[in-house]
Amino acid sequence: MHGLFRWSSKWWPGVIPLVVFWAIAAWTTTPPLESDLAARSAAALKDSLLDKTRITVAGRDVTFAADAFSEDGRRGAVASVAAVPGVRLVNDETRLVPEAQPFVWSAERDVVRVTLGGNAPLPASKGRLLEAARATLGGVEVVDQMNLSRGAPPRFDNAALLLVDQIWKLKDGKITISDTKVSLAGMARELGGREAIAAALKNLPEGFSVAANEIKAPPYIFQAYKDPVAVTLTLTGYAPDNNIHAALAAAAGRKFFNEKVVDNIKASLGAPSGFSNAVVPALGALSRLSTGTMVVSDREVKLSGDAFYDAAAAQIRAGLKDFPQGWQFKADISVKPASAPVDGTVCQQLFSGLLAKGKIRFDSGRATIDPDSAGLLDRLIETALRCPSANIEIAGHTDADGEDGFNQALSEKRAQAVTDFLVKAGLPAERFTAMGYGSTQPVATNDTEEGKAQNRRIDFVVR
Amino acid sequence: MAFLVTFHWGWLLASLLLGLAMGWIAVVHRAQAVSKLASGWLAVLVAALVAAALAHVIPGRPGYWLDLGLIMFALYLAGCAVGSWLRDWVLSRHAPAA
Repeated sequence: MHGLFRWSSKWWPGVIPLVVFWAIAAWTTTPPLESDLAARSAAALKDSLLDKTRITVAGRDVTFAADAFSEDGRRGAVASVAAVPGVRLVNDETRLVPEAQPFVWSAERDVVRVTLGGNAPLPASKGRLLEAARATLGGVEVVDQMNLSRGAPPRFDNAALLLVDQIWKLKDGKITISDTKVSLAGMARELGGREAIAAALKNLPEGFSVAANEIKAPPYIFQAYKDPVAVTLTLTGYAPDNNIHAALAAAAGRKFFNEKVVDNIKASLGAPSGFSNAVVPALGALSRLSTGTMVVSDREVKLSGDAFYDAAAAQIRAGLKDFPQGWQFKADISVKPASAPVDGTVCQQLFSGLLAKGKIRFDSGRATIDPDSAGLLDRLIETALRCPSANIEIAGHTDADGEDGFNQALSEKRAQAVTDFLVKAGLPAERFTAMGYGSTQPVATNDTEEGKAQNRRIDFVVR
Repeated sequence: MAFLVTFHWGWLLASLLLGLAMGWIAVVHRAQAVSKLASGWLAVLVAALVAAALAHVIPGRPGYWLDLGLIMFALYLAGCAVGSWLRDWVLSRHAPAA
């Protein structure tokens, strides 16, 4: 042992080359050592949920900065870097992602792009939202302005994904989640979009609620154009469903006895309430015009055209009975220039021609004129005005069903009702005689329903 | 430490061999010996450096270089001890025969 001490006092010359070795080793190994440690630290963090991870290595000391999404996650990440073999010290510069209060997320759509903004809870959910937005929007540019924050309500991802799915239904607008409240504003891309969004919002995850839904829809348009030259009625625009569509087409067929109905109606959701209750009477008013257009835009009905005579124009301008509440009716009615006067024979031909195309209808078994016959009556009145000197007999007829006495009385009452209508339209009462013939003058057999229908009629006979 | 050994085994081996050679020579070398006082101070210096390394007082690259230097120095000393002992053993085997 004593020898070892003696010898060791002479070991010092070797320290000189040792120092040289040391200097060379330090010079050459430091950069590879640092990059090796950096790579292995990054690998150790592969499974940690972090944002903005930054690793810098000086010697064997790792400076580790990152945003973590929970305190446990933060500690775990620091521990896994510290556990990397060769790491001497970890300078912990990690922090928690800031907490958003309230937690607001938004998706905004304008003409050219969709901007996702506000907060997202995790990088994965941010990615999912962007991917979903790109998938639903096809070619539209998706801009990501989302920040990562803590404090998202539970089931946030499901709610946001559901709302991202609604963006393509908007032309422009903004959808916002503030904590658990959802607000929507903007304009739907097409009719029914507003309703489709409202229906989708019913599937919001538990806990979320709609605070404000101010999505507007483009106006709900329905148009009818009566063309006197082509003798057509063209229906365009939308009807809420097939039943209402069929009912409108049937009503048009009844009211426009002369015109061919061209039906170009498409089905779409989003009709204002009372749609068919407003459109059917408005079609009735249109049927009284010689030429005219009806435009229904949301809850506004605009009717323009030419009435056959002054009183009809006044009646139409006065508005419609049974018009639903909240609806507006605007009539811009002028009067068709009076046709040239004709003599009684021509008048008779015109009456017969009109009544061959359409019939004045009454409520079953009663003398109340069906409103569907208003168009026909107006044309009869216009004809009567063309032969002011002719006296006209209004002849009521029934089919052979029921008692003769009742039929006689009914035919008289119906003839009188028509006469009253003509007088109310401004024709002199003394020109008209109401006559009832019951079932005594059939024009067809009373054995078939078709024949009976032909026998129930009002004739205009020039005397 | 295990990491340093695996990462720097070449340099450490070089230190060890340098130590063996120096130890082999030191037994018969006529160089001037370090005085007891100076070796005492040197021991204190080395102990202080070891303490600084263990306490991780020196940060960053200098800290790493210190660790590297100390471990190379330790292996050098070990090499010297083994080398000197081997030379001494060889000499003492030859002496009785001579």
